[in-house]
Amino acid sequence: MAQVFDVITTAAILYAVAAGLLIVFGVMKIINFAHGGFLTVGGYSALLVTQLGLNPWWSPAFAFAIGFLCGMIIERLVVRPLYARPLDAILATWGLGIILGQLITLAFGREVQFVRSPVSGAIDLLGASYSQYRLILVIAAVAVALALGLLLNGTRLGLQTRAVIMNESLARGLGINSGLVRLLTFSLGSALASLAGALITPLSSVDPNMGVPWLVNAFMLVLVSGVSQLSLGLACLVLGGAQVLVSTYANPVLGGLTIVVLAAVLLRLRPQGFARE
Amino acid sequence: MSSLPAPDVSAVPADTMRGRSDLRRLLILAIAALLLITIGPAVLPTYLINNLIRAFLYASVALTVDVLWGYTGILTFGQSAFFGIGAYAAGLIFTHAGFSPANAALALAAGIAVSALVAVLVGWLAFYHGASPLYASVVTLVLPIVVAQILYSGGNFTGSSSGLSGFDSFDVSLEAWFRIAGTYLVLLTAVAWLFVRSDAGRVLVAIRENEPRCEYLGLNVSRIKILLLTACAVIAAIAGYAFASVQMVVAPEYAGFVFGTELVIWVALGGRGTLIGPVVGTLLIDVSTAYLSGNLPFVWKLIVGLAFVVVIVALPQGLAPLVMRMFRGGPKLPAGETLSLQPASEEPLAVLAAAGRHAIAVAGVRKHFGSLQVLEGIDFQADHGELLSLVGPNGAGKTTLMRCIGDGAERSAGTIQVNDADIDRKPPYECVALGVGRKFQNANTFETLTVAESLRIARTRLRKPSLWARAASLELPDAALRVIQATGLDQKAAVQVRHLPHGQKQALELAMVLALEPSVLLLDEPTAGLTKAERTLIGQILVELTAQHRLCILLVEHDLDFVREISSRVIVLHQGRIVLDGTVAEVVESELVRTIYAGGPGMGAAQR
Repeated sequence: MAQVFDVITTAAILYAVAAGLLIVFGVMKIINFAHGGFLTVGGYSALLVTQLGLNPWWSPAFAFAIGFLCGMIIERLVVRPLYARPLDAILATWGLGIILGQLITLAFGREVQFVRSPVSGAIDLLGASYSQYRLILVIAAVAVALALGLLLNGTRLGLQTRAVIMNESLARGLGINSGLVRLLTFSLGSALASLAGALITPLSSVDPNMGVPWLVNAFMLVLVSGVSQLSLGLACLVLGGAQVLVSTYANPVLGGLTIVVLAAVLLRLRPQGFARE
Repeated sequence: MSSLPAPDVSAVPADTMRGRSDLRRLLILAIAALLLITIGPAVLPTYLINNLIRAFLYASVALTVDVLWGYTGILTFGQSAFFGIGAYAAGLIFTHAGFSPANAALALAAGIAVSALVAVLVGWLAFYHGASPLYASVVTLVLPIVVAQILYSGGNFTGSSSGLSGFDSFDVSLEAWFRIAGTYLVLLTAVAWLFVRSDAGRVLVAIRENEPRCEYLGLNVSRIKILLLTACAVIAAIAGYAFASVQMVVAPEYAGFVFGTELVIWVALGGRGTLIGPVVGTLLIDVSTAYLSGNLPFVWKLIVGLAFVVVIVALPQGLAPLVMRMFRGGPKLPAGETLSLQPASEEPLAVLAAAGRHAIAVAGVRKHFGSLQVLEGIDFQADHGELLSLVGPNGAGKTTLMRCIGDGAERSAGTIQVNDADIDRKPPYECVALGVGRKFQNANTFETLTVAESLRIARTRLRKPSLWARAASLELPDAALRVIQATGLDQKAAVQVRHLPHGQKQALELAMVLALEPSVLLLDEPTAGLTKAERTLIGQILVELTAQHRLCILLVEHDLDFVREISSRVIVLHQGRIVLDGTVAEVVESELVRTIYAGGPGMGAAQR
């Protein structure tokens, strides 16, 4: 039973980490390699909450706000000129990740630090004793998914965003301010990354490079998912599940490689990945 | 038709002076660099010597990143993995088997062999036909992650995260290593310089500019990329081997993804696609890092990161072109390539044309996109010497049919034979080998290459290009020469294609396809954008190609007057089916065709 929980919670964490990257990739067709940097920003936002002695439940909201703000600034300054050059956008955002990492190092130091968890201990569920916080993360991931679904399908902004995803020049021709849609999308993606960073830190620790390993996994998951949140969920479940199984039954190092290797091979055999078309 | 003027084959005089002065400059620069490297150890402090050795080796790897990314367009994060493989080949063998000259040779051989093998594997994965550039980058990203993780998990054998150190190595002084590493870098840069400027090197730029066009010019792009990656992997592995031998330490970081991205950063800052930029960039940044990271540990990395972002956003070509412009006082003119055009012997064409019973045999071909049926059971045959026009309203499936003949993977069902050979699921370059030449609907050319270079790329399949030199003359079949001269392109041999007007781009593409010496020619609106006079001339050349050279031409045209003048047969497509197949006269008189063309009074007036 604990293993089933492992698979589900791992998938939930992966989804939370990758959701923002997918939103940005879907709307802008660029891979945001600063995603790892935003994740780190979120982790340190949580640390700040801890250091200020506030209730740790504030961390996610605080991280979301900081991430949104950083995203807005960066979209204006750096990402906007690169829409026509997707490979260069990868590089520039990777450089941004470096800058974020160094700024954080300058502000907080380079050592590993710990964040206070809002809840601790295990609870008994379905005959297994399992970490309470990891289960809360599942709820958080589902909440993120529902919120995104509602935003995309239930609001005017979501409608405009979907129009931009499908056919940007037509959307612009119809009077949709695609620049604004992009700005909000990038900021939302950054905010989600930062939120995910705050959510995962109680499980481990924060350090200025904490985002990098997550970035690579999230990137691969997004590539196999196309632009749909649903296929991202599926990809997280399948590949995340494979990761848990390989880590348990083979060894953890191979487990760490499972997602990247499987995703690369999957894309070779089926370029559209988990997407339908 | 025989009244056309005979081509003036010595249209442009050969000029090798520029090439020679370029070569002389390279020689002078290389000798100067080697001199500096020889005297360097005598005057430089030891700490700097040590740092420069490392920087020389890093720069050698950066050079391979520039050839792959700057010239060929493959953004790679994986060259660090090959560096690491070379380094660990030395580290592992020297640690576990001890150092001896035999073991040193064995380690070098092992490093080269393993990196070449991995490169072929990675290339097979990353560069399959139809792979996106993003996917190739992803694979090069996965590679160093996998290699580094394997090294981390190797326990005592690989030394895990602390790596291996303290093994015995060559009994060679630091000064000598400085000269060895420096000479390796200088020679490598010189060879790379010759290579990227050679006729073969232009193929790399052509791939970067327009990969599909290369495939339709008969080039096996996947194979070229795999070979290139393998060569670059071996160069990086040798650098890694030397690194481990000098420093007597190896660690997983040297094979990792972060080092791979650092290489890309150095290349971008120096100036991608310039060779010298990445080398200078690497030397400057790596040596400054050694000095500055002590005083300003995090600020220095922050500055490099900032500079990188600024360069990518505002100066995508890097700093080298900027510096060069300052020295030369103005943008460099495009390298003036002038060459003489010569008629090629056209025997292969006659042989091919005579061999087949049918030039094209299409049976039961269907094509659907999802649930949308575009072609529904197309059957027809065409012989050598026929000029067959495909007409029909927009959306009738004309271009789709062309695409199915040019690329075996396109059709959903049915068989297609070219010169009696089944095209199966063959990719475009293999269809070209069967005799197919395809001109696209929109001018599909290499924007940053010159006219002469583009034509040479088209000849690459038949004339193996030199890996280090540029030929002064270019052999072209008569038909290609005629198109070039008729449209005035022979006067613009050294002009970059992006500066040509649209009509000349169309003519250039047609000439490139004719340079393939095809026996089956697929032409999708070859005269769109040409003047009336040019069009008449192209028409004459096409008729001549079918009459005298026995080519089979399949033509899609909207200008129905043009079709009527030159066609020997017309097929009318409507909603994915052949509705009429006959002579020009039969089609002109057909009631059905008039109905299809929205009740127009006749073909002549139905022009759109």
